[in-house]
Amino acid sequence: MAMRQTPLTCSGHTRPVVDLAFSGITPFGYFLISACKDGKPMLRQGDTGDWIGTFLGHKGAVWGATLNMDATKAATAAADFTAKVWDSVSGDEVLSLAHKHIVKSVNFTQDSNHLLTAGNDKLLRIFDLSNTDAAPQEIAGHGAAIKKALWCNDDKQILSAADDKTVRLWDRTSMEEVKTLTFNTSVSSMEYMADGEILVITYGKTIAFYNALSLELIKIAEAPAPINSASLHPEKDFFVAGGEDFKLYKFDYSTQEELESYKGHFGPVHCVRFSPDGELYASGSEDGTLRLWQTAVGKTYGLWKCVLPEDLGADNSEQMYGTTPEIKA
Amino acid sequence: MTTPVPVLRLPKGPDPNSRGFDPNSPRYIALCRTTVATTEAAGGDEEELQQEQHARSVLRERFLRCLLAMNNKKVSDLHTPIGVQKEALIRSQDVISFTFDA
Repeated sequence: MAMRQTPLTCSGHTRPVVDLAFSGITPFGYFLISACKDGKPMLRQGDTGDWIGTFLGHKGAVWGATLNMDATKAATAAADFTAKVWDSVSGDEVLSLAHKHIVKSVNFTQDSNHLLTAGNDKLLRIFDLSNTDAAPQEIAGHGAAIKKALWCNDDKQILSAADDKTVRLWDRTSMEEVKTLTFNTSVSSMEYMADGEILVITYGKTIAFYNALSLELIKIAEAPAPINSASLHPEKDFFVAGGEDFKLYKFDYSTQEELESYKGHFGPVHCVRFSPDGELYASGSEDGTLRLWQTAVGKTYGLWKCVLPEDLGADNSEQMYGTTPEIKA
Repeated sequence: MTTPVPVLRLPKGPDPNSRGFDPNSPRYIALCRTTVATTEAAGGDEEELQQEQHARSVLRERFLRCLLAMNNKKVSDLHTPIGVQKEALIRSQDVISFTFDA
């Protein structure tokens, strides 16, 4: 019997959700942080979407959020011209890093000792978190606001995407530009996968995959609508994308064929990310919600419960929920 | 005909009364360095335990007095994003966090 995808809606934010990030897998499971224009980033249990806490302190829209690998620290980038580092177990603000303009992106190194920030002042900054009095290292070069900046190649290099329609690769030690990719339009998102050194870039209706070390194009896929974000499955068999038509699209990575599309959000999808175990993907939307979607629809995982044909019957109806009102819309 | 995948329940939403990060969660207890557990006095050293409990209650009382002192605090020369306010009244519900130098 064919099963229909039931997305799990995580409510709580009151404005558009613009960025999402998962942690690695920890002894307590994995976690999800959401950046929202309401200024209150939230931490959730990754496999259920259960709210754990809200990081309070920013005085403006939060544009970027990230967790370190073991989910002990969080970092956020905001319109109040600060990037903040948080203890993500207690929810306390640990550090506030002043910038000269809106901060859009934050990223920890693997050892959590350095934080890369970038934003509307067109500079990349590297903060040493064990020596916070020291001024950050600054890398200039982009001609317009930077949307995203990520560590890559074992934290030896940096990838940045900006509104100057370029994606640039920088060497961390020399602080110099190594390579540049130029596009006809601004890149809407960038995701880096360390395993396999793959860079996922979206622009227009295109989802493009590049080798993160050489910036050589691997393959390209086209979606039916303008795409704001895409994410590659950890095993590289699928990728998902979401954008302006409110839908989530699932593609086969080897053939670039569109496999499925899902309705659910009531506004454009701003970000989509696979969980570290690949069992689900999370999407954040202009409608202020996060939704969790199953990779293998019908599988028992998290809050989703696989039901065998013989179990279906009236006696099970009090134990489980069927469609939520939103699905019918 | 497709059936929607059943779910056990919906994800829990935020608690309207708190910012979360439950101090009783297994992760918090395991990882939070700020939790100070009562020392296990092997052999039941009653006196030491009593002293420690007394010290804890003194600290708790001091903390509560600190919170009360912060309540409805009248301040002058308050620096705000829209300028310096000559006189202001900070209500306890306005406070997100406070730190003080010892």
